Formats: sequence, structure tokens, C-alpha cells
Amino acid sequence: MSQLSTRRGWKAAALGGALVLALAACGGGSSGDGDGGEQSSEPIKIGTSLPLTGEFSQPGQAAKEGYEVWQKMINDEGGLLGRQVELVVKDDASNQNTIVADYNALISQDKVDLLLGTFSSLLNLPASSVAERNQMLYVEPAGGSPEIFSRGYQYLFFAQQATADKQGKVFAEWVASLPEDQRPKTAAYPTLDDPFAGPVVDGIRAMLEPAGVETVYQETYAIDTKNFDTIVNAMKNADPDLVVNGAQFEDGIGMTRSMLKAGFTPDMFFQTNAPSFGDQFTEGIGEENTEGIIYAVSHSPEADTPGNAEFVKKYEEMFGTSAVPEDAADAFAAAQVLQAAVEAVGSIDDQQALADWLHANEVETILGPLSWDETGAPQGEFLIGQWQDGKAEIVLPEDAATAEIEAGWSPGGAG
Amino acid sequence: MEQLVQNLVLGLLLGGVYALAAGGLTLIFGVMRVINIAHGAFLILAAFITYSLWSGLGIDPLLAIVITTPVIFVVGWVTYKLFVAPIRTAPMASTVLLTFGLALVLEAVMGTIWGNNSTAIRPAYGNESFIVGDLFLPKAQVYGGLVAVLVLAVLWVVLTKTWLGRAIRASAVNPAGAELVGIKIGSVAALVFAIGIAAAGAGGAITGILYPFVPGAHYQWIARLLAIVVLGGMGSLNGAVLGAVLFGVAETMTAAYVSPSWATAVPYAIVFAVLLIRPQGLLGSRLREDAVPA
Repeated sequence: MSQLSTRRGWKAAALGGALVLALAACGGGSSGDGDGGEQSSEPIKIGTSLPLTGEFSQPGQAAKEGYEVWQKMINDEGGLLGRQVELVVKDDASNQNTIVADYNALISQDKVDLLLGTFSSLLNLPASSVAERNQMLYVEPAGGSPEIFSRGYQYLFFAQQATADKQGKVFAEWVASLPEDQRPKTAAYPTLDDPFAGPVVDGIRAMLEPAGVETVYQETYAIDTKNFDTIVNAMKNADPDLVVNGAQFEDGIGMTRSMLKAGFTPDMFFQTNAPSFGDQFTEGIGEENTEGIIYAVSHSPEADTPGNAEFVKKYEEMFGTSAVPEDAADAFAAAQVLQAAVEAVGSIDDQQALADWLHANEVETILGPLSWDETGAPQGEFLIGQWQDGKAEIVLPEDAATAEIEAGWSPGGAG
Repeated sequence: MEQLVQNLVLGLLLGGVYALAAGGLTLIFGVMRVINIAHGAFLILAAFITYSLWSGLGIDPLLAIVITTPVIFVVGWVTYKLFVAPIRTAPMASTVLLTFGLALVLEAVMGTIWGNNSTAIRPAYGNESFIVGDLFLPKAQVYGGLVAVLVLAVLWVVLTKTWLGRAIRASAVNPAGAELVGIKIGSVAALVFAIGIAAAGAGGAITGILYPFVPGAHYQWIARLLAIVVLGGMGSLNGAVLGAVLFGVAETMTAAYVSPSWATAVPYAIVFAVLLIRPQGLLGSRLREDAVPA
């Protein structure tokens, strides 16, 4: 009986669905007879799928906020090409298979006009392939893995300053330039098995080894690693002066807490991603333990780039804190890049024209000016941040610095 | 040598935590032939409740177990009555589907209540260790191991020394016979399910202190827990403990002496190897498939 009624329910749903489709088709027919050319007053639909749940939920949520701030600001100013912007956001649960299904659905079912990228290289790798196959512009707010740009894609653009392998460049140059008595002699490189975190660490190691910093530990750990005690114990025995940890968020917190538990506090500690999460980072490891931790970062709320102050203000208005997560700013910048292309071309009909324009031009964003090579890889340099007195400061390069770099990591909780 | 001891100790402590989490899963399977895919989700739920008690009311997260576990017990009992009881005698595939659905629902509920951001419980001792000679024993892990031993001991006593335990075992071995002598299988099953979930609850409180967590983290837990239970022998409490300790030690030893990138894979390879030789698991007994209630 219940099976029967379920089946009947399905039938009803299917019928209802067909009806809706038919009605939609009729509606579309009557209003869209002009068939292109003329300006529509319909909102422009921009689709994205973000890791709102699962391992990458931290950056995913932040990116959603960034996109929403951009949407609010542009709609308040009268919209994109005079049309309101509607965001279609799906949740890919940090899953590489789901994200492919999501972007296909955005294109074929939701019929979005434009796409925006997602978070982490791991997810942008498959998602950008869907966009490329459908010949749609794909501006990604993250996804700096060199692998992404090795595929010769034409519609892909990365809206940060540099690819992953160059993210730690400014930091590595600074370490290499230290006087010999201050320069670390040995370094450990534990890294998450991740297409983004790995290349950052490899990039730094490739610069430090020739500078005479000996590698005493170098290992990769899997994404479902929960327990870091063993890795930390091995590092502790190798006794490096510098630890460079290629991390996303959760594993970065786990690694740092394990180091504290083991009483292993190297002189210098560089970590990717996790330290750029503001309050969430201090809550994760304790504010007293953040002092001196160094990281690469794309955005500073204090930077005097055009539009940055307005962005930070709007973000605070909408989400109640001025501690803007880096990933929210990256997402906002990606949307800015898309906006610049659309406004310059003056139409959303020709995605090829949008891509061509971005290949040829520089775009002013809150991260600074961005420009791209033929693979969509950006040509700039990253900022280096450091936690000082419970606050995230920019310490390198010097012209963008908000504070002087401190040499050491001095956690308060460790004995 | 000293390093070997250090790594061994870290592995044993990790195994203790795994045992606590896996004990309930094997209990539920042993009595009810229900593979509870939602077990990891209940574990994370307990971690979130513990987090709220700690951050909101300032209760020490280890003490909070006294509150968390009964709460999770009730949640388990209600879950059983509402969802599992109606299909208790259905084929195993149905209960797997049902509990998988439960896991997804729980994940969404947790995401709605606590948000999908990574959460960490950090009592003062969370970043500290006992120093014994040259060895370091992380305090939270040691406390966690002690709680695991305590909870597992209570479970063992209940199962072997009490009337309830006899009723549970009778229901597992011969449901028809148990019913004939007056045991209400339905009530016993509800209790077992709730006890099993409560054990996961205690485990969740501990793991919440040890590792940061998000609602979606239950997938990683259920994968490990199922492997541990299969390794030990499905339905065997002693087997689960043995499996958990082996799993923990294998994980640490691999990370230390092979490579951390193999640390999460090698334990599963060991499970495969053991199953090739002993399909019933280390301490499991071969079941007569025709005598098992479907």
C-alpha cells in the first residue's frame, strides 16, 4: 500500500514537473520572441558550486560570503549591464564527483549566464574542465595548483596574485637573505596530499635548499589524517629550525596542536591557509599560540587597493566582523574580474570575447592589479602575513607591510 | 628503541580512542544484525554537544561526558523507536540504507545548529603532555584512554554479569528462544541500540577534545570504525578492542617508519590480509548464515 502510494506520489511529481516545464517554455516563448540583441530586464544568473559542507567548508562558506557582498554591492549600484545579479549557489560537499554534477546542472538545468569558480585546487581541477568543455568563462577565486594551468585551457582565469608554487616565494627569499647567524640551518616540510598545499611547500623548499637550508624531514600525509602525533614526534627528533607545513584548515589546526602537545616549538613556523582564517584560526589553536606564525596571503583588509575599504565595510555590515576571511576577499576579487570583463565587452553573449579581453588586459581588484598569461595563470606576487599580538599583520613585501617581521614562533601555551 | 616505545605508546593511546568509538558499533551489530552507518554521525553529534557544554557553560569537556552520554543515549533510544524498529526484521540492506540516510540527516541537522565550520574543544590540558623520562604522553589522549577502558569495562560487565546482559546475548543467539522465555526482543533491541549509541557518544566527547571536527567528518570515522569492527570480528566486543588497538598501532607505526602518506591506507591493507586468512575476523565466530535472522 505504502509502495503504491509512493509510486503514485512519483507520478504526481513527474506530472507536476512536466507541467511546470511546459508552462516555463510557454512563458519563455512569449517574452523572448526578440531572440537576442535587445536588452533583457531579467536578472543575470551567475552559478557556482562551493564546498559549503565537508573538509573544505571553511573556505567554502567564506567564498559564499565574498560572492554575496559583491552581489549586494553591484545590485545596489544598479546591477551588471543594468540587470540585477542573481547568484545560484550549490553545495558540492567538498566532493570532486559532486562538483562535476553541480556545474553540469548549473549549465544545462539552471541555465546560468555566467560561472564563477569554487574553492581549493582539488575542486577547481574538475570544475574548470566542465566550464572549458562548455566554452564558458571560468574565473576561479582559488585553485593555484600548477596542474590547473598545465592543461592549456582558454576560459580559465585565477583571481589571485600567483600560482601555488610561487606563493611562498617572497617568504623564501626573505629567509635566504637573512644573515647567516639568523638563517635557519635545517627545515622540515610536512605536507597535506593536496594539489595546492604540495606545490607551495615544494616551491619554498626548492628555494631554501640552494640557500643552504638543509632538509631534515619531508613527508606527505593523507587528507583523512586525524592524528598528527607521530609526524610531530618524527619532526621533533629531526629537530629543524624551521617548519614549513603545507596545510588546508583542519589539518593545519591538528598539526599545530600536536606540535604544542609534544612541546615541539621550532624557531620559525610557516603554514599555508589555516593562519589566514582570522578568528577561526585563533579559536582553533588558542590566541596565545599564534604569536609569530607566518603564512602567505592574498588579501589584507588594510591594503589601500581600489575598493578595498568599501568591500571591508560592506562585509562588516553584512556579517558583523571586520576580520574578513582571505577567501571571502578572493571570491569578491574573482567576481570583480568577471564584472570587469563583462562591462568592458558590454555583453554576456560571447564567452570567447570575455576570455579574450581578460587575456589582453589588466584588472584592478581589491587584491591589487591582476593580469594573466595564456594559460590563465596570474603574474603577480603574494603577500606574507604574520600573527603578532593576536592580530594578523602583513610583513612582506616591505611596501605593503603593516608591521615588521618577527623572527620566531613563540607560543604561550607550550611548556 | 626509545622512539619505538614512544610510537608504540602513541599508537596504543590512539587505539584506546578507536576502541571506545567502535565498541558500540559492534554491540549493535552483534545483537541486531544492524550495521549502523550513522554511528560516526552520532559520534560527531556528541562532540558538538560537548563543545556547547564547554564553550557555553564552561563545563570541563571530560566531565561533560556525564551529561553528553545520557543525552546521546536518549537520542539513540528515540531514533531506534522512530526509525529502526519498524524495519528491524527487514533485510540487512534496508537497515544499511536507513542508517546511511540517518547519517545524512544528522549531518544536515548539525550543520544547521552548529554551522559547517571546523570546531575545536580546547581545555587547558588539550595542548599539554605528561613527560615520562624522554617520552611524552598527550594528556587528553591519556584521559581518553582511561575513559575508554572504563566505558568498555562497564559494557563488558553489563553484557556478562547482569540479567540484561543475558537477555541481550539470548536475543542475539536465538531470538525465537529468547521470546519464548519471556524476553521482549523489541525492548532489548531498543536498549542495545541506545547503549551502543551512548558508547559512541562517550567516544565523541573524547575525540572532540583530540581533533577538530565538522559535521561531515563522520564519513572518515565510519570508514575507520567499520574496518576495526570487521578486523576484530563483527559482533565481538573483545574483537573490537583488539581491532582498534591493532589499527591504532598500525597507523602510528606506518606514519613513523614507512611514510605518513601510507598511514591511513596500511591499516586497511592489514584488514584485507586478516580477512583473507580469517574471514570471520580475529575474534569473530563463523555464523551459520541459514540460522541468522534475516
